[in-house]
Amino acid sequence: MSSVVAKGPRDLQKNVLAKGLCSACGACTNLCPYIDMVKGRAVLIEPCGLSEGKCHDFCPRAYIDVPSLDKLIFGSYRKDLALGSNISVTKARAKDSEIKSSAQYGGVVSALITYALETGEINAAVLAKSQDSISAEPIIARNRKEVLECAGSKYIVCPTVTGVLEAMKQEKSKIGVVGTPCQITAVRKMQASNFEIEADKKGLLIGLFCTWAVSPDAYNYIRELVGPAKVTKLDVPPPPANIFVIQTEAKKIEVPLDEVRKFIMPACNVCFDMTNEFADISVGTVEGEEDWNTVIVRTKEGERILQGAIDAGVIETKPLEKARFDHLCEASLTRKKRVLTETEAEKMAYLTIREEDKSKIVS
Amino acid sequence: MSYVEIDEPGERVLLMGNEAIARGALEAGVDFCSGYPGNPASEILEALARAAKKFDFYVEWSVNEIVALETAGAAAFTGLRALTAMKNLGADVCADFLMTVNLSGTRGGFVLVTGDDPSAHSTTSELDTRNYARFAEIPLLEPATTQEAKDMTKWAFDLSQELGVICMVRTVTRLSHSRGVVTLGPIKRDKRSAEFSSQDVWTSGSSTIECMFHSILHEKLKRAQEKFEESKFNWYVGKEDADFIIITSGTGWPYSLEAVKLMELENEVGILKLGTTWPLPEKLVASHLKHAKEVLFVEETDPFLEQNVKILAAELAAEGVGPIKFYGKKSNHIRGEYGAGTGELNVDIVIRALTETKKATYPLREKEYSEKAQKLLGSYVPARSMGFCAGCPHRASFWAIKKAAKWDGREAIVTGDIGCYSLGLLPTGFSVAKTLHCMGAGIGTANAFGNLKDFGLDKPVIAIAGDSTFYHACMPALVNARWNGSNILFVVLDNNTTAMTGHQPHPGTGVNAMGDSSPRILIEDICKAVGAEVRVCDPFDLDEAVQNLYEMLQNEGVKVMIFRHECPLAFPEEKKARVYVDQDRCLGDECGCVRFCTRVFGCPGNIWDYEKGKAKIDEVICNGCGLCAKLCPVEAIIVEEVA
Repeated sequence: MSSVVAKGPRDLQKNVLAKGLCSACGACTNLCPYIDMVKGRAVLIEPCGLSEGKCHDFCPRAYIDVPSLDKLIFGSYRKDLALGSNISVTKARAKDSEIKSSAQYGGVVSALITYALETGEINAAVLAKSQDSISAEPIIARNRKEVLECAGSKYIVCPTVTGVLEAMKQEKSKIGVVGTPCQITAVRKMQASNFEIEADKKGLLIGLFCTWAVSPDAYNYIRELVGPAKVTKLDVPPPPANIFVIQTEAKKIEVPLDEVRKFIMPACNVCFDMTNEFADISVGTVEGEEDWNTVIVRTKEGERILQGAIDAGVIETKPLEKARFDHLCEASLTRKKRVLTETEAEKMAYLTIREEDKSKIVS
Repeated sequence: MSYVEIDEPGERVLLMGNEAIARGALEAGVDFCSGYPGNPASEILEALARAAKKFDFYVEWSVNEIVALETAGAAAFTGLRALTAMKNLGADVCADFLMTVNLSGTRGGFVLVTGDDPSAHSTTSELDTRNYARFAEIPLLEPATTQEAKDMTKWAFDLSQELGVICMVRTVTRLSHSRGVVTLGPIKRDKRSAEFSSQDVWTSGSSTIECMFHSILHEKLKRAQEKFEESKFNWYVGKEDADFIIITSGTGWPYSLEAVKLMELENEVGILKLGTTWPLPEKLVASHLKHAKEVLFVEETDPFLEQNVKILAAELAAEGVGPIKFYGKKSNHIRGEYGAGTGELNVDIVIRALTETKKATYPLREKEYSEKAQKLLGSYVPARSMGFCAGCPHRASFWAIKKAAKWDGREAIVTGDIGCYSLGLLPTGFSVAKTLHCMGAGIGTANAFGNLKDFGLDKPVIAIAGDSTFYHACMPALVNARWNGSNILFVVLDNNTTAMTGHQPHPGTGVNAMGDSSPRILIEDICKAVGAEVRVCDPFDLDEAVQNLYEMLQNEGVKVMIFRHECPLAFPEEKKARVYVDQDRCLGDECGCVRFCTRVFGCPGNIWDYEKGKAKIDEVICNGCGLCAKLCPVEAIIVEEVA
C-alpha cells in the first residue's frame, strides 16, 4: 500500500516541478547547491546525478502516504475522515491584549508559540515574517517580540520549511514550526524519512487551516491597488462575502475574491488537507467570530502544551457549537471529495489513502 | 634584448616564425604597423610594438582587422611603408577594404600578413587565406622556412612599392610558432615623410573607372608573375626530369623533403617548391609539367596550388603536355583524420600518400611499439575538455547566467562569441552557451532570436561577448537590436584585457600597443548612449549577479549587464588569499553534494583527495578568488586573506 519509492531530483523535476505542482514549501531547498527557491517555485539548477534524495523524499507533492504518516504520528489509522485524527475540537483565543491586537483572529498561534518559547518547550520557532504585510520570509524567532512580529495571516506563499532546515542546522534541541498543511506534511516526512536528518528535534508543530495560497505574482496586483501606501492587514472574510480585503493605514480596499483567486498556486488545487491533519495542534478561523480561533488538538504532545497554556492563563477556550463543527467537517469533506473526483488522476498520483476511506469520502 | 631588434647583419639567431616576419618588416624599414590580436599572428605585432620606440616607427592595435587594414592602407597612400597582421578569420573581416584597396592601389609598400591555422587548433575555422590573394588578384608569398618568413616579408615591401599594390604573405601556425635559424640582414631606417597632395585621389572607382583600375590590377599581376619566374623563393630538387614530382609550398616543403628522404626516394622523385604562389610562375611550373607523368600536391589546407596547376595543365594540353595523373586532395591521397582538405599536414600524411601513389611500403613505426604507445596513451593522457583558468571570472559569470536562466525557467537561448569565454559552450562553462561563430556573432544572432515572437519563438535571449570583442564587432549589432526592437539581454564579460590571444590591450584598458596611456572608452557609456538598460556587477558577487540577471530577464527591450572583474593572470594579486578545505567540515561523498566543487564547478584548483575521500584545493594552481567557498553547501572551504 505504501507508495514510498526512493527517488531523486529527476523524478522531482518530472513529477512535481515540471507539472507546476510545487507548493513552495521549501523542503527541497537548502539541502544542496542544486535546487533554489525562486519566486514561489523550486528550481532545479542541475540534476546532481543521484537517483534518490531528500529532495524527493521530503516533498509533499512527490508523495504523501497518508495511512503511513497517520500510523507514525498517531499510532493508528484515522477514524475521522473529515478532520483527520484528533483528540478534541474547541474554540479558543489568546488572553493577552497585545497578542490579540497583533493577531489576525484569535491570536492562538502567537500565544501558543510564545508560551512554548517562554516555558522552554521549544528553543526556537520557525515562522513567516512580513515586512510589508504582503510578502513573507521564513525566520527563526526566539522570544515574544520576535514572535509578535510574525503575527497575522500571509496569503502569498512563504517557503517556511527552508527555515526549518536552517533551524535544524543551528539548534541543538526542540524547534517549533507554524505552517500550512503542505509545509507541516513536509516536516513530518522529514521525521519519517530513512535519510539521516536530525528531525527528532521536533518540538511543536502548529498547523494552520488552509484553502489556498497565492503565488508571489499577486504582490504586483496588490501593490498596484494600494500604490506606495503601507499595507497593515490582508484578509479573506468568510463566505458569502466573496471579497479580498486590503487594509492600509489610510483606508480599506475591497476587491472581488475571484481577482485574487487568479493567483492561486496550482499546487493548492490538488491539496487534500484543509485542516492540517498532521500537526500537533491545528488552528483556523471561526467564521463570523473574528476574535476566536477553531482549534483541533491532534497529538498527546499538542494536548499537553495546550492544556499548559490554558492553565497558565495564556489561552481561554469555549466549546465549539455543533453547527460550526458540522460546517467545518462539511467544508473539509467537500474539498476532499472534489479533489478525489474532479482532479485529473495524474495530478493526484502523489496521494496515497486507504481505499475504504476513499470510497467513503467519495460517496 | 630580443633577437628581432639586434643590429648585427649576418648574425645567425633562433627566431620564432612570427618574430622573423617582424624582423623582415624592420629590415624593410616599415613605418606603420597595425593589426588585431589573433592566433597564430599575434606575436608579429607584439614584436614590432616592442621595437617601435627604439626604431622610431608606429604600431597600433586597431579595434578590428578592417580598421587595421584601412589605417595601414592610408599610411601606404601617403607613401609610408605599412604592414597589417591578422589571423585567417581577420581576412574575412577586412575583405571589404581588401577588395577595393587592391584596385585603388597604394604608393608606399603595403604588406598584409595572414596567419592560417590548419586543424583550427585555436580558432573557429581552418580557412585558407591564399584564396583571398587569388580573389583580390594580388601577389601572394608563402614562406616555407623561418628564413623565408623574414626574407619574403622584406621583399614584399619592395614588390608592393614597385607595383603599387598590396602584397600578401601567408603563414600557418606551425611556421609562425616554431623556431628556426635565421641569418639576419641590416635594419633599414629610411626617414620617409607622409604626403597627401591636393592632386591625390585614392579610390577603386566605379563603373568604367573601376573596370579601368581592374585592368591595371591585371597588369600589375602580370608584372609580378614575370618577377616570380626568376624568384629565388622557387626551386626544384631531386631527380631531373622526374616522372613523379611533388609540387609543394609553405610548410608542405619540409614535410615533403623529409618524407622523400625517409623513404629514400631522392633519386626517383622531384620536388618543385613554390614560394610565390599567386600568380603562379606559369613558365616555371610548365617546364616541370612537361616531364612529369604524375604530380602529387602537398599544401595546407585547400587544394589551392592543386586547382591552379590543373588549370594550367588543361591549358597546356593543347601543346601536348600530359596526360598527367594528379594526386592530392581531390584524389583523397592527402587527407587528415576527417578527410581530404581538412586538418593539418604532417610527415606521416605525406609518407602515406607516397606509399599509396607509388605502391611502395614504408612502416611508419614498428607495430609492437605502435600498439604499446596506443595503450599507454589511453591510461596516461586522458582526453580533457578545455577549461577556464583557476580564478577566472568567466566561471563565475557562466554559473550566474546558468542560475538566472534556470530561475527564469523559460529555456533562455544563450549565444556565444569569440574569446576565452567561447568555452562557455563546454562543461567548464556549464555548457550554457549554444552558438559560436565569429566575432560579434553572439549578439548578431541574438538579434533574430529575440525578434521571432511572431513566428512562435518566445524564449528569453542572452547574448555574450567579451570586452575586446565588444569594441571589435558588437556595437553595430547592439544598435541594430535597439533600432529593430529585439528583446535581448547582452552580457559583456569585461576582464580588462584581450585575454585569449595573450593579454593585449583594447580601448577600455587605458593603454595602447606601444604601452602609452590612452583614453578609456567605457562600455557602459556606449551602451547607455544606444539606449539600453545598463547594469554593472562583479560576477564574483554571485548572489547580486544572479539577482540582477534574473530581474533583467523579466524586462523588455535591450538590456546590458557588464560583468566586470580583471583577469587574474593579466593582473595577478600581489598577495593571493589562501584557500583550503577544512577536512573536518567537508563530508566527502557523504555530503550529498555529489562532489559539487570538483565535478560541477570544476575549477582546476578544486581537486579530490582519493586517499582521504574529501575535496582539496591545489594551492599552487588556486588563484584565491574564493568562489568555490561561496558555493560549498557546508561551508567547508575556507578563504584566508593574507595580510
